[in-house]
Amino acid sequence: MKKLLFILVLPILLLTQSAAIRMDQSEEAGARIKAIYIYNFTKYIEWPDNYKSGNFVIGVYGTNIPLFNELSKMAASKTVGAQKLEIKSIGNPAEAAQCHIIYILTNSSDELPEVIKKVTGKSTLIVTDKAGLTKLGSGINFSIVENKQKIELNKANIEKYKLKVATTLVDMSVQVK
Amino acid sequence: MLNLKRTICFTLLLLFATIVGKAQQRKFNAAYTFLQQGNLDSAKVNIDAVVLHPETAGDGKSWYVRGFIYKSIYNKSEKGNKQSTSRIVALKSFKKSIELDTAQENVQENVKNIKYLCTTLYNDAGASLDSIDYKIAIANFDIFKEYYLLVDPTPANIQQKDIDFTLAIASLYTKVFESDRKGKIEFLKLAKDAYNKILAIDPNNIAANYNMGILYYNQAVNLINQSDYDLDIVALNDIQDNSINLFKESLPFMEKAYELDPKRRETLLGLSGIYFSLNEFDKSNMYKQKLEEIEKQK
Repeated sequence: MKKLLFILVLPILLLTQSAAIRMDQSEEAGARIKAIYIYNFTKYIEWPDNYKSGNFVIGVYGTNIPLFNELSKMAASKTVGAQKLEIKSIGNPAEAAQCHIIYILTNSSDELPEVIKKVTGKSTLIVTDKAGLTKLGSGINFSIVENKQKIELNKANIEKYKLKVATTLVDMSVQVK
Repeated sequence: MLNLKRTICFTLLLLFATIVGKAQQRKFNAAYTFLQQGNLDSAKVNIDAVVLHPETAGDGKSWYVRGFIYKSIYNKSEKGNKQSTSRIVALKSFKKSIELDTAQENVQENVKNIKYLCTTLYNDAGASLDSIDYKIAIANFDIFKEYYLLVDPTPANIQQKDIDFTLAIASLYTKVFESDRKGKIEFLKLAKDAYNKILAIDPNNIAANYNMGILYYNQAVNLINQSDYDLDIVALNDIQDNSINLFKESLPFMEKAYELDPKRRETLLGLSGIYFSLNEFDKSNMYKQKLEEIEKQK
């Protein structure tokens, strides 16, 4: 009888452990939020006519695999008007000039001045990921406010690249001048 | 004259009682003989008549034999049936026998048989822990709990079994929910209720704390990952608010699990993940480093 009781306890105990958290789950969720924001930028910002043909290129400058994967997933299912989305990994500032949006990740933030030089005269939206960069030339910067992912927006820095930004987006941002 | 009438009435009653008593004794003997011969259907008919008759319904020995007959029926033809009615009748009969057995002649035998049947109930509860039969599992476990107290009245022992079973059923509810998050949403609440039940009994239960933390964490992550890229910023803010609340709900359970076992890998990963999702990267990195230190020591 004792043996039987011992045998029966095991299957129940084996069922009690939930799977561990995977760090990439947290990273993927954070990346998803940023991807949704970026897709919103394509809706609330208007590029000049000569940027409305060919692929809509989003360049990612720096390394963040979950983010790159998430943007690539987005590109596979979404378009910007009639334009196909293309996600490009950028290896040097010069490549930024070919992009509609250049997203400079935290680990490449120091390259912002060089990127600005290369996109001058173009219509590229500069998006960054480090506090204070909207004052140094970035158009939109991701920031954290009370645990939440928010955006800071410098309208003048966007418009200097001949981009039109909708009031809706401005109103939903923390405005920096 | 009156006395004579009374005497006649009394004598007739005695005679009737003796006849009835003898009839019940015959049925009892017949039931016992049929049991020994393996004719369980006839044994059942006779013993049911004995325990149902007012004259013999209070006889503990008859209830014991009834329990034994029904246990034999269960063993012979209902062992594969997780909802066996004969097993329940047997348990009820043994319990009744204990209640009536004031001289405690059959207590040991009754308890031994209850223990055996409880074991089969517990086994069946464990074997029914799946998305189809889980209600049978719960029913069997509830019956098990009721009767196992007669075998082992120590509250702590049955409580531990209750916790183990509830953990298993909570884990099952979680799996069912995870298999179809929209269609099986009710299982999320069932899982949370089950973990809360455990934590009400034992607030220091590490598995319940950890699993509850994971439940809220996954709910938050899924909320974000299920969001369409088309979502506007206002709706995205709402999603973020809801997910942050869920991450914050997750946190105290994971912190409690950490307090109970600061070197547990899963908990450190959990805390690092929750703080990362709350965009508190310093804290996330702190737990990540603790995990790395522990893994270096191995």
